[in-house]
Amino acid sequence: MLQLQSISLVHFRNYVQSDFSFEERVIALCGKNGVGKTNFLDAIYYLSFTKSYFSRPESQSVHHGLQGMRIEGDYLLNNKKINIRCIVRETNRKEFYFNADEYKRFSEHIGKIPCVMIAPDDVALITGNSEERRKFIDTILSQCNTNYLQWLIDYNKILQQRNSLLKAAAEHNLLDESLLETLDDQLSEKGELIFKERKEFLSHFIVSVKKQYQYIAQKNDHISIEYDSQFLTASMKELLQSNRQRDLYLQRTGCGIHKDDITFLMKGQSFKTLASQGQRKSLLFALKLAEFEVLKQQKHITPILLLDDVFEKLDAERMHHLLHKVCVEENGQVFITDTNRERLAESLKEIKVPFQLIEL
Amino acid sequence: MQLPSSLLENAVAEFSKLPGVGKKTALRLVLHLLKQDVNEVQHFGETISKMRRDIKFCQRCHNISDGDICSICSNSMRNQHAICVVENIRDVIAIESTQQFNGTYHILGGIISPLDGIGPDQLKIESLIHRIEKEVVEELIFALSPNIQGDTTIYYIQKKMSHLSCRITTIARGIAFGGELEYADEMTLARSLANRLPVQQYVK
Ligand SMILES: [Zn+2]
Repeated sequence: MLQLQSISLVHFRNYVQSDFSFEERVIALCGKNGVGKTNFLDAIYYLSFTKSYFSRPESQSVHHGLQGMRIEGDYLLNNKKINIRCIVRETNRKEFYFNADEYKRFSEHIGKIPCVMIAPDDVALITGNSEERRKFIDTILSQCNTNYLQWLIDYNKILQQRNSLLKAAAEHNLLDESLLETLDDQLSEKGELIFKERKEFLSHFIVSVKKQYQYIAQKNDHISIEYDSQFLTASMKELLQSNRQRDLYLQRTGCGIHKDDITFLMKGQSFKTLASQGQRKSLLFALKLAEFEVLKQQKHITPILLLDDVFEKLDAERMHHLLHKVCVEENGQVFITDTNRERLAESLKEIKVPFQLIEL
Repeated sequence: MQLPSSLLENAVAEFSKLPGVGKKTALRLVLHLLKQDVNEVQHFGETISKMRRDIKFCQRCHNISDGDICSICSNSMRNQHAICVVENIRDVIAIESTQQFNGTYHILGGIISPLDGIGPDQLKIESLIHRIEKEVVEELIFALSPNIQGDTTIYYIQKKMSHLSCRITTIARGIAFGGELEYADEMTLARSLANRLPVQQYVK
C-alpha cells in the first residue's frame, strides 16, 4: 500500500511555504484557476519522477523572485515510513533524497513511488506527434524495468555520437568507416533491447487499453491500436546498413527506435481525424488507466493517481464510471482537482467514498 | 577588478588561466609572490618554464618522461608484455599508486567522442596498434571511463586489431560509478585491477 501522508512545499512555483497533510485516501482539491492546483499535483509527480510532469526548464520550478526550492513528502509504503525530498540549492544544484540517502543518479529513483498523472494537455498523446507516444510508453517501461531507462539513455547518447560523426564526415568529406561500424554495433545492441521490451509490453498493453475504453465509454467504437516500428520487418543493423548513404547525405540517423510510434485506428481509419471529442477523451483515459493497471501489476503497489481538471473533459456519465473505477474499485490514493467545489463534492458523495476536501 | 599596475594585472591574468583558479585567488597568489624574495620568485618561474620546456613524452607509451623512454617502459623488472590502456597521465598516477599493476601503459590522450570533436585520429590509437604488431603483447588491459565513449573506444580498437591475437581484458567497469578513473578510491581500483574481465566478443 502506498499513501502520501504529508507534503511540504518551499519556494515551489506559487507556493512560498505550505504544508499539507492527508487523512483520507481520496483528496479533493478545489480553487479558482491560478491558485496552484496543477502545481500541487506536479509537486507530487516531482517526488516520483525527480522532475516536473511538464517539460519546462528547471528554473521555472522555483518561485518567481526567490532562490532555491524544496519539496518534501512523507509516505507510508507497505507500512513503512518513507521520506522523499528534493532540494534545489541557490546555485541551482539539485539534490534528491530517499530517507537519509542522497541519490547519485536520479534515474535510480524512477519506479520506487509509482504515480500516474492525467492533465488537460494530455490529449496531445492522441493528436500530437509520435514523440508524445514514445515518451508515454518510455515512462511506463522505465518504472517497470530499471534497465530500460539506462538502455534508453545509452541509446540516445550513442545516437548523438553517430549524428555528430555523420556531420563531421560531411564537413571534412572523410568518413572513418570503422568508427561508424562501431557506433552502429553499439546503437543496434541497445536499440534491439528497447524494441523487444516495447513489443512485448505493447502486446499486453493494447489489450488492456481496449478493455478500459469499453469500460469508460460502454462501447468499443471499433478501435484498433498498433505498434508501428521499422524493426518489425528488419533488424536494426540491417536497417542502419541499408540506410547508410541516406544518413550520410542527411547527416542524421533516419532509422531506429527513435522513430517508433503507436497508431490508433477507428473502423480502420485514422482515429485522430474521425473521433469525436468524447471518444478522444475516452481513449486518453483508457490509455492512462491501462498505465495505472500495468504499474499496479508490475510493482505490486497501487500507484498514486493525480487527476487534474478531469471534470472539464468528460460528460457526467463517463465521469461517474471513471471515478467509480479509480476511487471505489481501486484501493490507491487519488488526488482530484476542480474549480467547482460543489461539483467535485457532489460527484464524490455520489460514489459514496470518504474524502478530504482541501480549498487552495 | 581595477589593479594599480599593469604588471600585476598581467600576472593575475596568467594565473587565472589555470583550472579552478578565479580572479580573486589569482590576485591572492600574485600578492603572495610579491611578498617573496626576488630570487625565490625567479626560481619559481624558472622551475615551471624548465618543466614545460624539458619534459618529454615517452616515445613508446606517451607517458611523461625525462628521456625518450619513460621510467616505466625502461624498467626491466616490469612485465613488458602487458599494456594497460588509459586516457591520460592522471590515470597512470592513480593506477601506480595502487601498486597492483606491474606492466606497462599506453596513454591514448582521451577517448573517442565525435560529439566533442574527438575522433580516433586525435588519439594515440595508431601507435598502440603498431606497438601490438611490433612487440610481444600477451595482454591488453583497458582501464577507460565506464561510459558510452569508453565502450566506443574499446570496440574501435578491438576492430582495428582483429588481425592480431592478444588477450583483451578490461578492469571491472562501473567502478567509479559514472565518474572517471582518477576519482576511484585506491582500494576499489586495486580490486578491479586484480579482477579484470575479458572484453565480450561483441564486435564480430
Ligand atoms: Zn613509456
